[in-house]
Amino acid sequence: MLEVKNLQAGYDRLQVLWDVSLSVTEGEFVALIGSNGAGKTTTLRAIAGLIKPKGGEVRFLGTNLSGVPAHLISRKGLSLVTEDLNLFEAMTVQENLLLGAYSRRDTKKIMGTLEYVLSLFPILSERKNQLAGTLSGGERRMLAIGRGLMSSPRMLMVDEPSLGLAPMMVVAVFEALKLLHEQGVTILLVEQNVNNTLHLADSAYVLEHGRIALQGASRDLLENKYLKETYLGRR
Amino acid sequence: MSISTIQNLLVTGLLRGGLYALMAIGLALVFGVMNICHFAHGEYYAIGAYAAYFAFAVWGLNPILAILIAALISFLAGAITEKALFYPLRKLSKGPWVMNAFLLTAGLSTVLQSGFQLGFGMQYLGITQYWNATVKVFGMNIAADRVVAFGIALVSIAGMWLFLHRTRTGRAIRAVSQDERGAQLVGIDLDWIQTLTFSVGSMLAGIGGASLLSLNPAYPFSGSAPLISSWFVVTIAGLGNVEGAIVGGLLVGMFESVSYFLLGQGWQTVASLVLLILLLLFKPSGLFGTGIKSVWE
Repeated sequence: MLEVKNLQAGYDRLQVLWDVSLSVTEGEFVALIGSNGAGKTTTLRAIAGLIKPKGGEVRFLGTNLSGVPAHLISRKGLSLVTEDLNLFEAMTVQENLLLGAYSRRDTKKIMGTLEYVLSLFPILSERKNQLAGTLSGGERRMLAIGRGLMSSPRMLMVDEPSLGLAPMMVVAVFEALKLLHEQGVTILLVEQNVNNTLHLADSAYVLEHGRIALQGASRDLLENKYLKETYLGRR
Repeated sequence: MSISTIQNLLVTGLLRGGLYALMAIGLALVFGVMNICHFAHGEYYAIGAYAAYFAFAVWGLNPILAILIAALISFLAGAITEKALFYPLRKLSKGPWVMNAFLLTAGLSTVLQSGFQLGFGMQYLGITQYWNATVKVFGMNIAADRVVAFGIALVSIAGMWLFLHRTRTGRAIRAVSQDERGAQLVGIDLDWIQTLTFSVGSMLAGIGGASLLSLNPAYPFSGSAPLISSWFVVTIAGLGNVEGAIVGGLLVGMFESVSYFLLGQGWQTVASLVLLILLLLFKPSGLFGTGIKSVWE
């Protein structure tokens, strides 16, 4: 579904990603893990068209995404939930969700998706008429993921959903992602929380200093000696 | 102060304020969505006035139709300006956007004013009235033109509010003003929203110029005074705040008519500027704005 080949990307003269290749097939739950500054967020930004790749190729559903502006990539069904969420803070929860469905026209179907998202995150339906800026950290994450789902995307990319959340909320957000995956949504998850993520994802890529250092099925990676020592703190 | 004086001040304040609010919404939108400190906004007011003059006095059209044509022409003028100037600047400029865009509007203002001089000469192109009638408000006889102009301002403001809050495109405009990246991620085309916003803002200014044609004739520099007043309003209300611009417009209208009455002609501008200076010292974010600290904090 998503094919990334030899992606080079960065900011101005600073190159962050070197030859990153990864692929996600339909219905799969793939994780991109790595420490701070490894280039995980940059990878997602380059895929979503928020920054222009310096080289390599990104293909989604068979079409080349290079040079395609971000809003058209989103309309193709590739939805990104960013680390800083980018919510519309002065609008209500409901307005945020409806804007998530901006590129869709069929009101009936949009309302169906809205109901589905609210059932996935019941707290959002309690907060429906509250301004997004007044929500707690966990609720804001849920709203951002909910908004990302409102376009009824073919694939969802989520950047560091556990960042800055209380452990209880981390569990809730991960549970929601698991449920989404079980319902057939293709997911690319970026996380620093390596242990939890590997228990959730089918397969994973480990990014180090802008290069893919390791890749494989999650259960194999959990047994990998290098990964255990470096990321899981076990011997 | 007698009751009738107070009523008198209230009515003139409101009539003034309606126009200020209309102009200020345009400024607030353009700043909120595009981050442009728009100093050529007054020229779209003048475009509206010129268009209405030609439609009404030269071609003899119905006043409402003339004002609608003025609205359409100022909208188109806004669209052309955005596509021809700000769009390329956005794509090509790597420097500080706010400064570059501001300089562009300042230059644009001069070019348009000179263009008006070239095209229409330095004379005042005015009309005595659209409607030969007066309306009694609180026992005062007020020219129908003023009342209708206020009505048009109210209808346009209400229409804008409904557009921004109840329609998909209106929500998209608000979304871009709150978070550009978030807007891109839900599939909103920033270029289209920015062109639309600039055009709608210009249209609001044009409606103002057209509906007040009998009071302020079309003239190459006729946009200067409304520009300054509407900047005054958005500074008081908080930049980029549309709701604040509405309330601020009415407040400034009232304030000016009261200070005109108490201090005499010519002093109302001084009073306004003193108010502005005090506000910038103690609450620089504006009455309804947040996030900017005053020099004392």
